[in-house]
Amino acid sequence: MFPNLRRSLVVLGAISLVLGACTPPAGPTGASPAATAAPATAAATAAPTKGGTFIFAMWQEPTTLAPQYANQTIAGLVGQVVWEGLAMTDPDGDYVPQLAKSVPTLQNGGVTISSDGKKMSVKWELLPGLKWSDGKPVTSEDIKFTWQERMRDPKVVSRAGFSDIESIDTPNETAAVVNYKSIYAAYPLNFSSLIPKHVLQGVPDPSQTEFNRKPIGTGPFRIVDFKAGDSITLEKNTNYRFAPEKPYLDKIIFRSVPSSTVAIAQLKAGEGHGMWNLLESETPDIEKDANLKISFSPSNNVERIEINLAENNDPSDPSKPHPILGDVRVRRALIHATPKPQLVEKLLFGKAKVGSSVCPQGWAADKTITQEGYDPKKADELLDQAGWAKGADGIRAKGGVRLSLVINTTTGNKTREQVEQVLADEWRQRGIELKIQNMPSSVLLSGSWDDKDPRQRGTYDLALYTTNAAIDPGVHMSQRYHSRQIPTPQNKSGQNRVRISDPELDKMIDEAGSTLDLAKRKELYSKIFRKINEIAPAIWLYERGRIDAFRANALGWKPHAWDNITWNVDEWWLKK
Amino acid sequence: MGRYVLRRLIQAIPLLLLISVASFAILKAAPGGPLAAYEANPDVRAEDLERLRTAFGLDQPLPVQYLTWITKFAVGDWGHSYAYHQPVLDLILERLPNTLYLMGTVFLTVLVLAIPIGLLTALRQYSFFDHVVTGATFAFLSTPTFWLGLLLIIVFGLQLGWFPLGGMATPGAPFDLGDRLRHLVLPVATLSLVQVGSHVRYLRASMLETINQDYIRTARAKGMPERVVVLRHALKNAAIPLVTVVALDLPEIFVGALVTEQIFGWPGMGRLFWDAATRFDYPVLMGILAVSSTLIVFANLLADVTYGYLDPRIRFA
Repeated sequence: MFPNLRRSLVVLGAISLVLGACTPPAGPTGASPAATAAPATAAATAAPTKGGTFIFAMWQEPTTLAPQYANQTIAGLVGQVVWEGLAMTDPDGDYVPQLAKSVPTLQNGGVTISSDGKKMSVKWELLPGLKWSDGKPVTSEDIKFTWQERMRDPKVVSRAGFSDIESIDTPNETAAVVNYKSIYAAYPLNFSSLIPKHVLQGVPDPSQTEFNRKPIGTGPFRIVDFKAGDSITLEKNTNYRFAPEKPYLDKIIFRSVPSSTVAIAQLKAGEGHGMWNLLESETPDIEKDANLKISFSPSNNVERIEINLAENNDPSDPSKPHPILGDVRVRRALIHATPKPQLVEKLLFGKAKVGSSVCPQGWAADKTITQEGYDPKKADELLDQAGWAKGADGIRAKGGVRLSLVINTTTGNKTREQVEQVLADEWRQRGIELKIQNMPSSVLLSGSWDDKDPRQRGTYDLALYTTNAAIDPGVHMSQRYHSRQIPTPQNKSGQNRVRISDPELDKMIDEAGSTLDLAKRKELYSKIFRKINEIAPAIWLYERGRIDAFRANALGWKPHAWDNITWNVDEWWLKK
Repeated sequence: MGRYVLRRLIQAIPLLLLISVASFAILKAAPGGPLAAYEANPDVRAEDLERLRTAFGLDQPLPVQYLTWITKFAVGDWGHSYAYHQPVLDLILERLPNTLYLMGTVFLTVLVLAIPIGLLTALRQYSFFDHVVTGATFAFLSTPTFWLGLLLIIVFGLQLGWFPLGGMATPGAPFDLGDRLRHLVLPVATLSLVQVGSHVRYLRASMLETINQDYIRTARAKGMPERVVVLRHALKNAAIPLVTVVALDLPEIFVGALVTEQIFGWPGMGRLFWDAATRFDYPVLMGILAVSSTLIVFANLLADVTYGYLDPRIRFA
């Protein structure tokens, strides 16, 4: 299709191969996050060329780009180029202001607590002279409207944080005081995307307006075209607060492609400059191509095997322990019998970290926490201690119960299926029978009692999947590990699917959720994460990264553990 | 004739209602649901899921959900997509031109290729040409489109670099007919090769049957030129079974090709249905199923009417 371009790419490739020969080759572990991220960061400091159209391939498509409805990762990735909020997370996991002058805290006086200690107020001060991409000023009224709209519209994706707000005062154009009904510790990112009042005021259903696909924001680009199933085109926002210096690019096009395989092929052929979301197994091929670069962002996504502590029954009675997994010694033995480093090296090509805790990244993470390592001997000892003795068929049994477990994961995920096979083999040597029973993710992960999610009903032994805590782990911990969230016919939506019930843990989770002092919260969460590892309701297999890829002439991008790769799109540029 | 068509149209109403009940029941019986999409979002809490369930009407009993859908549908309100939030009709109308463009091209390509090839293979039965075509049609007929599509992408897109790997046009570029056509080649080839195969088989078989009939011999005996014998006497009769097959292709022009559109990233109806199916987007699925079942019922009627035109021996009673 582009004979000349292809030829010049071959030449380019040859040149870079020669140049590459002068630098020491990256070893198998040389593909660590820091090593791959470094060249891009260094390049960003070189003088960027302005102009150009950047084509970024995505193999899923946003269904909506309105911040109040967007639910997909890819919608966040594209939407982020348009939306902005009062504060954001920097690559180190710290809160930094975005549209606000600073992030309010107790120390700087921005956060005040009522005399009875039960309520709080947060005072936000907007930067002066901010404009929406249509030229209208951004005011404190927009902050108030964002809250009102989230509470009014029944179709918004989440009201987390907003439902804790009692009122918002707007003393002047740039100041907003958010009064919370209780102590809401996750307030810094509550307003991480603002909604323009002048556009949506009085609109009964914004999802039926153009805002659904072409929202107005304050970010570096504005959406000019949304071709469903094909592409989304954005042009530079001349009202951006760093204009005209930034963004460097004139245009960015998010192109919808059918699969990551096609995205990789197009990237190799030079039909685009960047692509979203590669599988670990796809990285060796990319690394061989001198024209391509990989962006690896560590993340809070922990691939885990969740363990049902209560009986495997429909519905599961949380007061009845699981006949096998109810014993912490058995759960520990399973952890010891799991060769995590081998899984990471062999199945994930080293592009992941051995799992350690429910929340391995961010300010709340305690990097000193570990989970029991691979130790088959220890696993055998624990099982012996717990009274499980090997029978004639090599499988352990106790009181007529065989040590036989069923593992569920999502169908069609090769890596997960391989993990299951490795475990079935490893565990059989320990005298544990592991039966594999996979189901579509729409079933296993439906999260719905009525749709018979086995985790919801408690009809499972072990469930293998990925989820993650947000930068503020408060919601995650109270939804998934507090005893009041155990799913039952009365509480169908509870998310404590491991059915962990520990009064001490409940108390700590409640306390951490209503403490404002970050240092004190960090300490509490460290205790919570340790306590959870002690109870062992899950095997933390590995921490997944987010892997994106770019052509070597696309520069300025920077991996971010808490954000999509587009977080600094205003600094992206194309080398001529 | 008019009364026949009218009666068939009236009969279609209960049939379509029955189809809609069955589609709805099957969609709902499939395990999983639309709220699964919210599960991975760490901001979505149990109460948010409950609120969304109510907002989408999923908390209602199934018969109520169906009745709500059908009564609104009857007055032209096709509902709103859970994922896109947009009216289902708008989503369909947005994709329809793209699908018409692709499938229309396929439809014409198939006819233009299948009729002469079918005729020739029948007229030159057991010739070298017939053997080659018979072999090829069997091969393409037994090839799944997803495999053929990927094969064409690998060979002509990746290795030879002649055609783009997917999409309808080069993003960001101004309109260019050549570019549009290049994007069209591989998906049209994928779909046509398979269909040409089946149509050639039909036409060959019925042509062989016709060509040995007495009236063909009579026509020849009268000294008619072979061209007239074949085209006027033989083809018109032999085309009857093909008409049914072609008429039943018509709905496909509107609803698209599920797998092929997905493989080639074609922004058409097939891809919309695919995406909606993976998201349990019931309103979109029901909308597309309603369109396709209606079209199939009408295409059948059309086939029957055309039959009567081609073969006056068939009477409408």
